[in-house]
Amino acid sequence: MIEPTAGPSSTATPRADPQWPEGEALRLALAQGDQALGRIGPILGHLLSTRDQSLFSDELVARIRAMLTHLAWQILRIQAEATGVKGREEFAAAHGEGLSEQLFDTPALVAHCHALALEWQLAARLEAGHGLDPVISPLLQSLIGNEDAGIASAAMASLAAQARFAQSQRRMQLPLGELPGDLFHALLLAWRGYNGEDASDALVRAEGRLRADYDEAAGRLSLLERVVTLLGKDGSHALTFDQAGVALFLSALALRTGQPRDIVAVSLHDSQMARLAVGLRAAGLKPQDIEAQILRLHPDRDPPEGLADIGTREALNLLARSAGWAGD
Amino acid sequence: MATIGTKFIARAIVDADGMLTEAEEPLASLQVECGGRIGGPVAVPELRALVEKAQRFGLRLARQFRAVDGQDRITAWIEIEPLHGSDGSPQGCELGLVSWHSEELPPEDELEAARRRAELSRNLADLTARLDPSQRVLSVAVEAPDLTRLQIAMEGGVGRPWTDFVTFPGNLHEQPLHWRLLDGAECLIEGSKRRWTAHLEPLGQPEPGSAGFVLNLLADRPLGAGALDDASDSGSEPPSLGRDLSPVLRQPINRIIANAETIRTKLAGPLAEEYSDYAADIAAAGQHLLALIDDLSDLEIVESEDFVTAPDRIDLGNVARQACGILGVRAREKGIELSAPPNGESQLAIAEFRRVLQVLINLINNAIRYSPEGSQIWVRLDRIGQRAMVTVADQGHGIDENQQARIFEKFERLGRSGDGGSGLGLYISRRIARAMDGDLTVESAKGQGARFTLSVPAAEDLRNAPRDGPKLDK
Repeated sequence: MIEPTAGPSSTATPRADPQWPEGEALRLALAQGDQALGRIGPILGHLLSTRDQSLFSDELVARIRAMLTHLAWQILRIQAEATGVKGREEFAAAHGEGLSEQLFDTPALVAHCHALALEWQLAARLEAGHGLDPVISPLLQSLIGNEDAGIASAAMASLAAQARFAQSQRRMQLPLGELPGDLFHALLLAWRGYNGEDASDALVRAEGRLRADYDEAAGRLSLLERVVTLLGKDGSHALTFDQAGVALFLSALALRTGQPRDIVAVSLHDSQMARLAVGLRAAGLKPQDIEAQILRLHPDRDPPEGLADIGTREALNLLARSAGWAGD
Repeated sequence: MATIGTKFIARAIVDADGMLTEAEEPLASLQVECGGRIGGPVAVPELRALVEKAQRFGLRLARQFRAVDGQDRITAWIEIEPLHGSDGSPQGCELGLVSWHSEELPPEDELEAARRRAELSRNLADLTARLDPSQRVLSVAVEAPDLTRLQIAMEGGVGRPWTDFVTFPGNLHEQPLHWRLLDGAECLIEGSKRRWTAHLEPLGQPEPGSAGFVLNLLADRPLGAGALDDASDSGSEPPSLGRDLSPVLRQPINRIIANAETIRTKLAGPLAEEYSDYAADIAAAGQHLLALIDDLSDLEIVESEDFVTAPDRIDLGNVARQACGILGVRAREKGIELSAPPNGESQLAIAEFRRVLQVLINLINNAIRYSPEGSQIWVRLDRIGQRAMVTVADQGHGIDENQQARIFEKFERLGRSGDGGSGLGLYISRRIARAMDGDLTVESAKGQGARFTLSVPAAEDLRNAPRDGPKLDK
């Protein structure tokens, strides 16, 4: 503890001088500047030393930032409307940055956008390299003609949703209704946090209406999972890229292994080949089929060894024990 | 909403309290298979989590859920819509089932199953004890109040086989048997009305059990499960001290004592002497409170209608010498000479070892508490006709006739206070004595000391059968 200052020494410190009230603010601003300066080095160092840029490439960062900003703007437009602010776009523009920053601090949302961006990148790559349509995969096409009306209509609806997804990804956007329920809830909480403690009645009503209008069943991710669920045992067809397309593949693998879909999406990356292989094993694929899938994805890499040695159950256990999504 | 024409296979309603009030097949059957009922809480675990989430978020959710209905694994798709009243208050949820797949459960891996069983019994056990390779108790932890007596017995009997403390109905073998034979055995525990199953988890490699065992005792039903169903009935019955309150009280009091002891012994740093003395007072008061709780829960047990004692054949001399051994240190602290029956002297009786020990410890404790320093206390055996007796005699102030009439009454303190007594010890002791077909009496005169005598039915020979009842293995 510092002794309370008395006598001449007190005039030496600017903050004790009432004539200089902005001294404190300046000092704080400098301190914040110092922190930012201190972070530059490690972040740059990390980015430069990461030889493989593909998980944090400029494109991915830009996509994630754009999707989160788009979410922020959508919700701000609704806020402006609910509170009767004139000029919705101006209101969104004024607060867009602030709310976006709040969203950047919401790890679940960031991870979700990261996974979506990776999914889209891969879909685009497979389209360029293998001519695989990112919207209509052979499996989806055959399901649309399925004699089971439930399957056919679910397939049709997910085709439409996948088309919307392609469109919005090209625009680097993410419509509110496409968020899974948990993330939609997280988004609303972040929004609440941005508006501070005492929300006006108009805001409370706006949030109530947003919640009432939300329908998870209409979202792309829900529709894809529904198709996989409706297929039951036949869902294993969805475990090949060429047949199912990336979107259905990810949903099927997530449901079959109990992993969050966002984690599965990241597992398609080079650095996560082991996770993908173990996941496919856990989903019940034979070792040689897994190798085929992995070679399709990473033609220049050797598939992991020892897959034949572990059974489906061990693979599931391995996944459950891995810390990748302990914080689910 | 519906982007796609959704046809529901089945519908269900969950009310605002999470009760499944209506359900069509196959949801209704699944609810029952999972241990629930229509009108009860949602019993399908994943479905329950989804319903709670939809209600908490106030969002319409559409998700896959999995369940096991006993034989088959179910994978289903469900849509959940939270309902609201006109004032916006939550009114429960409407559930629509979209798809339903069931497939046979794959046969369970044997190792996996064993691990799961071990995990289950670890998590559900009300008693967990660590045993040595000969199944002798090393330590014990209890979580259900109806096992408190067993816990006390086991803690007092560390080093004896765990099978000494429970009874195996219909099993007349010499215990303990090989652990594989005892694993899964049903047993009865005194003080508990529930039926128990023992699970032994062997430790050590390569020979299982070479490093000892973990004993888990699982009950056939949770304690107080009946109370959940009939909340209205339980309101009329006051909470039971022994069963409900004593475990709750024990923990904070133990903390108080432990912390007061820490202060008293100045473990955390130097402290003025007065404060250390206050802490000592706090600790002593806590100990008193703990003893009081023990007495009160004992009281409840001995006063209950189904209180019985086991008609074992025991040697009173042996019990008396053990009691003297336990209290010898306390007596020496007060400069009192405690004289136990000489080794070799024995008096066979039909009574329960633990109960007789409890009575004798109470009597000797009283004698030490109320005797002057430097005096003597004798514990002696006797027999008159069919009665075996053990007497505790002291050189205290004695008790006049008037007091003798009242001394066995509940909460009778004979005007004393502040000495750590509850006024329950003698009352409980006499109840125990009478439950064993015996009695507890006192002879004394003012200034002449007191003689308390416990009498129980005598036995002729340890090898003889008891008067009645089944033969009980030790």
